[in-house]
Amino acid sequence: MLGMVLDVLSWVSILGGLFFMLVGTVGVLRMPDVYTRLHAAGMTDTLGAGFLILGMCFQTGFTLLTLRLLLVYAFLLFTSPIGTHALARAALSGKVEPYRAHVDEE
Amino acid sequence: MDDRVILRIGTKFLIPFILLFALYVQFHGDYGPGGGFQAGVIFAAAFVLYALVYGLGRAKEVLPPGFVHTCSALGVMIYAGTGVVTMLKGGLFLDYNVLLHDPHHGQHWGIFSVEFGVLVTVFGVMVSIFYAFAGRRRREG
Amino acid sequence: MDAVVDITVLALLGVTAVALLRIRNLVAVVMLSGIYSLLCAALYTMLDAVDVAFTEAAVGAGISTVLMLGTLALVGRETKNPTRRPILPMFVVLVTGGVLIYGTSEMPPFGAPDNPAHLHVAPRYVEESGHEVGVPNIVTSVLASYRGYDTMGETTVIFTALVGVLLLLATGPRNRRPWSADERRADRETAEGKGTEGDAHG
Repeated sequence: MLGMVLDVLSWVSILGGLFFMLVGTVGVLRMPDVYTRLHAAGMTDTLGAGFLILGMCFQTGFTLLTLRLLLVYAFLLFTSPIGTHALARAALSGKVEPYRAHVDEE
Repeated sequence: MDDRVILRIGTKFLIPFILLFALYVQFHGDYGPGGGFQAGVIFAAAFVLYALVYGLGRAKEVLPPGFVHTCSALGVMIYAGTGVVTMLKGGLFLDYNVLLHDPHHGQHWGIFSVEFGVLVTVFGVMVSIFYAFAGRRRREG
Repeated sequence: MDAVVDITVLALLGVTAVALLRIRNLVAVVMLSGIYSLLCAALYTMLDAVDVAFTEAAVGAGISTVLMLGTLALVGRETKNPTRRPILPMFVVLVTGGVLIYGTSEMPPFGAPDNPAHLHVAPRYVEESGHEVGVPNIVTSVLASYRGYDTMGETTVIFTALVGVLLLLATGPRNRRPWSADERRADRETAEGKGTEGDAHG
């Protein structure tokens, strides 16, 4: 019984993680410039990875492996935003112009 | 205030863990995936990260190029040296059984020492190649 | 189900390789080569070769990408146009590839249980490694104990690669104490915002 509950939970988590990764990918393909693409990819990647790791934690139960997975997620939580920040800084210092929406003068 | 604060603090937090992970991979090569090559690369990656965030000058003060060139040769010497030690103890080249009082312990310590040699060489080579490439600019014209 | 994952990863590998050939912006090419290495690591994991996958991910997707980005500072961001048609190199590549493919047709079928490798070599390592070497990971025992010469050769090859790089990119006076002043000045200028920042390549 408990095994089935864990299985269902891990399926839901992994599917949720896949959904967020897909949303992030669509965002990267459709967004107009570097900064908006970074915003889409950076946030959804961290969240999607978190859900995937949560799904894996449900599969491994309550062992040392779960602790390792959570440590991996802790480091991902630390480094993914820093990486996005570094990319955005590099784009800014490379003088990439942000996309500006065209507002009709009224 | 220097506006690279986030990168610097993030790096300061991460580098000890990267080095620790490299040592973990090295010593757990006996029980799981790992060993000298992976550990050497991860160890070098920590120093490359330091050089990228804090600058090449400071990285070269921490880890002088002469030292890493020496490291890369030292690792090969450690490896071959293990073989010479086994020969001096009466066995063939790289025959770990004669290293210690017991073949099992001999194998264990022999593998440990050659993997350590591999770690040192791979670390030295990766950092040296990074130093050779980094900081160069294209000559105009 | 495994076949679906295998085919997907191999298809992605093929797409990445074609993109690697056709794209002209070299930064994108370097990133694609990192992705190629990561896909290869996934492929090795699916083939149950976890040590190899680990090494491939660390070296190919990690260090290699950084080193190639460092080279871009020397080489420039765009692929240069070829100056003449590569007829002879194409011929040499086709002949060598054809000879290699013909050579593999003589090998025993992939994964068949009565291959010589599975009858003589592998059972000895798998069965004897426990009491001969005593190390739980058979890959390490094969790498460091049964095939210790080969690993020594590999380590020497890595060292020789470094010697080759150092001979080509002669680092002369750059490696003595005066470099420290120049580079620290460059670091300070970078930190104050002059010039492009973001990495040590200036």
